[in-house]
Amino acid sequence: MLAYTLRRLWQFIPTLAGVVLLVFFLFNWIGGDPAYLLAGKIPNPETIANIRRQLGVDEPYAVQLWIFLKQILTGDFGVSWSTNERVSDIFATRLGPSVTVLIPLLMISTLLGMAAAMLVAYVRGSLTDRSVMVACTVAQSVSILVYILVFQYFFAYQLGWFPVQGWGVTFADNLFRYAVLAIVVGVAVSLAPDIRLYRTFFLDEINQDYVRTARAKGLSEARVMWVHVLRNAAIPIVTNILLQLPGLLAGAFLIERFFGIPGIGREVILAVERSDFPIIKAVTVYVAIATMVVNLVADLLYKAIDPRVQLK
Amino acid sequence: MRESSVWALAWRRFRRDRLGFFSLIVVLLYLVVVLATATGLVARDWQQEAGVSFAPPTFLGPGADTPQLAKRAEGAQALSDYGIPDPLGPDLAEIAKGLSGASANETRAPTLALGGDKWGRDVLKKAVKGTETSLFVGLAAAALATFLGTLFGAQAGFRGGKVDDFFNWLYSVLTSIPYLLLVLAVAAVVNQKGVLTVILILGLTGWTGIFRLIRAEYLKHRVREYVLAADAIGASGARRMFVHILPNVSHVVLVQLSICVVLFIKSEVILTFLGFGVGVDTVSWGSMLAEAGSELLLGKWWQLTAATVAMAILVTAFSLFTDAMRDALDPRLK
Amino acid sequence: MNTAARSLALLLLSFAAAASAQPEGKVLRVTFQVAETGFDPARVHDYYSGIVIEAIYDTLLTYDYLARPAKLVPNAAAAMPEVSADGRTYTFRIRKGIYFAEDPVFKGKRRELTAQDFAYSIRRFYDPRNRSPYAFLFTGKIVGMDELAEQAKKSGRFDYQAPVAGLQTPDSHTLVIRLKQPDINFPYVVAFPLTGAVAREAIEAYGDESPSHPVGSGPFLLKRYVRSSKIVLARNPGYRGKTWNFDPGDNPRFKQIAERMRGKRLPAIDGVEISIMEETQSRWLAFQRAETDIEYQLWDVAPTFMTDDGRLKPEFVRRGIQLDRTVDAEITYLAFNMQDRIGDTPNPVGGFRKERIALRRAIAMAYNVDDQIRIIRKGQAIRAQYPIPPGVAGHDPKYVGLIPYDPRAANALLDRYGYKRGADGYRRQPNGEPLVIRYTSTPTERDRQFDELTKRALDTIGLRMEIQKERFPEYLKAQKQCRVMMGVAAWIADYPDGDNFMQLLYGPNIHESNNACYDSPEFNRRYQRSSQLPAGPERDGLYHEMTRIMETDSAWLLLDSRMRNALQQPWVVGFTKHPVLHVEWLYLDIDPKPAY
Repeated sequence: MLAYTLRRLWQFIPTLAGVVLLVFFLFNWIGGDPAYLLAGKIPNPETIANIRRQLGVDEPYAVQLWIFLKQILTGDFGVSWSTNERVSDIFATRLGPSVTVLIPLLMISTLLGMAAAMLVAYVRGSLTDRSVMVACTVAQSVSILVYILVFQYFFAYQLGWFPVQGWGVTFADNLFRYAVLAIVVGVAVSLAPDIRLYRTFFLDEINQDYVRTARAKGLSEARVMWVHVLRNAAIPIVTNILLQLPGLLAGAFLIERFFGIPGIGREVILAVERSDFPIIKAVTVYVAIATMVVNLVADLLYKAIDPRVQLK
Repeated sequence: MRESSVWALAWRRFRRDRLGFFSLIVVLLYLVVVLATATGLVARDWQQEAGVSFAPPTFLGPGADTPQLAKRAEGAQALSDYGIPDPLGPDLAEIAKGLSGASANETRAPTLALGGDKWGRDVLKKAVKGTETSLFVGLAAAALATFLGTLFGAQAGFRGGKVDDFFNWLYSVLTSIPYLLLVLAVAAVVNQKGVLTVILILGLTGWTGIFRLIRAEYLKHRVREYVLAADAIGASGARRMFVHILPNVSHVVLVQLSICVVLFIKSEVILTFLGFGVGVDTVSWGSMLAEAGSELLLGKWWQLTAATVAMAILVTAFSLFTDAMRDALDPRLK
Repeated sequence: MNTAARSLALLLLSFAAAASAQPEGKVLRVTFQVAETGFDPARVHDYYSGIVIEAIYDTLLTYDYLARPAKLVPNAAAAMPEVSADGRTYTFRIRKGIYFAEDPVFKGKRRELTAQDFAYSIRRFYDPRNRSPYAFLFTGKIVGMDELAEQAKKSGRFDYQAPVAGLQTPDSHTLVIRLKQPDINFPYVVAFPLTGAVAREAIEAYGDESPSHPVGSGPFLLKRYVRSSKIVLARNPGYRGKTWNFDPGDNPRFKQIAERMRGKRLPAIDGVEISIMEETQSRWLAFQRAETDIEYQLWDVAPTFMTDDGRLKPEFVRRGIQLDRTVDAEITYLAFNMQDRIGDTPNPVGGFRKERIALRRAIAMAYNVDDQIRIIRKGQAIRAQYPIPPGVAGHDPKYVGLIPYDPRAANALLDRYGYKRGADGYRRQPNGEPLVIRYTSTPTERDRQFDELTKRALDTIGLRMEIQKERFPEYLKAQKQCRVMMGVAAWIADYPDGDNFMQLLYGPNIHESNNACYDSPEFNRRYQRSSQLPAGPERDGLYHEMTRIMETDSAWLLLDSRMRNALQQPWVVGFTKHPVLHVEWLYLDIDPKPAY
């Protein structure tokens, strides 16, 4: 196990190197020149040249790459080109709002999804099962964009149950007023795919030999489901959630943008729009590392729980 | 001989699944529509501004208020030429004499079947034409992604060693970068705007999932007896990969292809919303939904509804079809 | 604190409740539709940050709240400046008794505003380290400063101490500025919000963090700041205060305002709460639910509250919502690249040959500006006939543009000049080569609408169009490098004088603000003369000629100027949208029991 872990950690390096090179050259090649944006209404050549000098983009590529590598090692990516805010500050302050929405969202959709999936797995093959599955498919066929637009229009505008957007001061305020609609939309969008996926996990387990054995031993169906199947299906469910996390953080930008939540996803969009390289660099590196770490943890978890699993 | 009977068996199982079969019919109907629009039989004039701006659907009746500009100040002549002659003056004067009277005032319909967008274009025609774009993008991008994923997966799974290491590295790198940045990168490289760009973006970034699955399949199959037997009779690597193994994993490929189609149709919507999608020459469900956001504020809901319903029906049908296909090809997973 | 500890602290803080951070009393709630970037005047480039800066810092001059057209009045200066006979020396006497807001950097002492603070603030624009986008306000104008900036580039350090002939402070409350040549518009420069006075101690103490720790002597100070989300300003307790005593003239609405506000001590409110709301839907809903007090960024939903003839719909009037409708001091225009080549390929729309003029004129005649106003602007704009918009000195409401909307004539014109249609139905150049009009825009939904309108125009006259999408920074760069063949551009007045608009067509401003890369000797000559003249009939005469020259060359098609519909809740008193000032907050009041 230890040897495997070390080997995987060692493999982080070429992957990270690949990510770094890819981002670096892509950005320099096609990422855009922020100098003109930062130069304001009347950019003369000296202003542009000065800006580029201040940002350090007029240095040769090798030098810039070296600076990038140093930044990764120290974890300090400098300041945003457009706001001068320290990049590490940006992440620290934006993480809170993102997580305030994400954690409840994941918890609620997972629990609801598991409950629903268990129920349909229990009555697999029946009309209920099929109807729920079809309903899920229909729900999934509608774009997240539509969910956001419609929910915001009805629940915030017409009914006035929630603020349209924004973020408050206290945690309680945020969680129970501002984040609610975002969480509701998030759950609505992820419930259907979760139910389908978890149903597959549950069915995988139900088809296993040990379940047949348990039934043969005389255990009630309920006990079989709740005690045995659930516990075993929990593993792929949990690992599935873990694996999604890094992507979710940066990927929740649509919800954050529409609901005015000052989170990481929204920050990424802003950075891309402004060609703000320090933030893009930092996001890419953090997400890459997070993805690799999470993958490793998921694999180790599998191994720890099921010793038959062969780790290569 | 064995293979055809596997497919025949699968087909028979599939037909028994009435919901899945019905979904296939729906998908085929959509394909017929696409054929009709692509050949110009239907909705060829979708760009024409047939109705007034935001014409309501016919069953609602004509709208009360249409933003009208105060009548154009006709014929307000310049006070003088301020001492600067117009080099085109003589030409324009002659042209004005040549052109007779007032131009025909185009009449615009007050309502359209499913309503009109801000320019007065028929929403029904847009939805139908949009089907062509969205479905084409979905299919082409899925084909590209599946092709790449299968090719790379086969190489990595079959050959192993350094080849496997390389593809795994490529996989890790691509999946570690936030999707938005990847999309931006590809969009910027393929500077040309339009349907081709969207297909390339989706295809070049979407092969990773398939890669993983196919690689696993090839890892499984390459130690099977029939492959070893092929090796024994001197079949080359390529031959073993694509002539012997591929048909046996083709059901996985097919299902993944199908899943990708659905995923990419939905992704096109997001891409267009972010500005990386199709150009103004083309209408897709994504472009309709992107416009719908601001329209909803004004109470104009028909474009949003038309695009959502059209997309929902196709995507649902395609998904159910995929499920049925997977069940038919691999009955253990019932 | 090292980075990790600091990050952790900030992270926890972003969850936890902040200390009491709401100003008590009358708080005005408004929104920005684009996130701010920071509040250090010398390091900021965006419009919204500029608004907050205007509220926090004091400029030498400002504008009279009600005078139209906008009129300069003294602010931190005790009176308008004394100008020397040759027009090159400006002497400002600073008002005594203006103090900076309390801040730890002043170590507990009350810090008075001095002339040195203004001198220091001006120097900062020349410091290469600040890479100020608004350095152009001063560059090349003040004696001795450019040389200092050159030295700084070489040495890497800007010398704030070195005496400079053009910027002198003979005593603590006198500032003498010497210009290299007379500049009639210089007073506008020192009314520009970004030229407000900063305290050296604050800049040096906060260093790179100065954008988030503004310390000014203006009416408001920064109370709470959540980046890209919320900016809370509170009344500056040490502010010297002003008295509301503006002359309303004949304007009935201004008279009403004057009745209620005259004699009040300003600022009358206790604070301002600014929320960043990017989506129109959010802003509109927030206003309707009385979560915000003033909202004027509602172009997209104007038809829901405006009637076709420009009045507020009855249901809103009943609720006591007030409307203030003005034309923004801006123009939007379609610019053609006037150069002969773009990069290293010939430019099919550029140059002064007659057939090129005909091509540009035909495109201009095929573009339906009325539809732009009706459909894209939802009726909330007026046609721009003149490069100078209403409200700006030099505007001529009687001027009628040369170029009508006439697609049939446009087609005839192209036929006449040899732009024959090929087999594919698209016109070719007179020399037989294919003709592709490349139009550049950004990938936003708004630009998509302009794309559609332009495509319609070009389709009407049989021209093949290629749409090039660039993200905004890239678009700016291409524009400044004269690589955009055709595109829509806009200009908002920096100061309310026509010169600010005419300079957009001045040859030497190519690569800066001259987006059409237009270089006409006839135009340039007249511009140079006009820039020496004060506003008046002689300058107007030149402006008429210059406009006509631009029109006959068809370098631009003038499109529109947007209307600004400012909605206010019934309890907002004394608000009217100023053409130049953004911080009307200083001049209004909140009264829960409206009298009208």
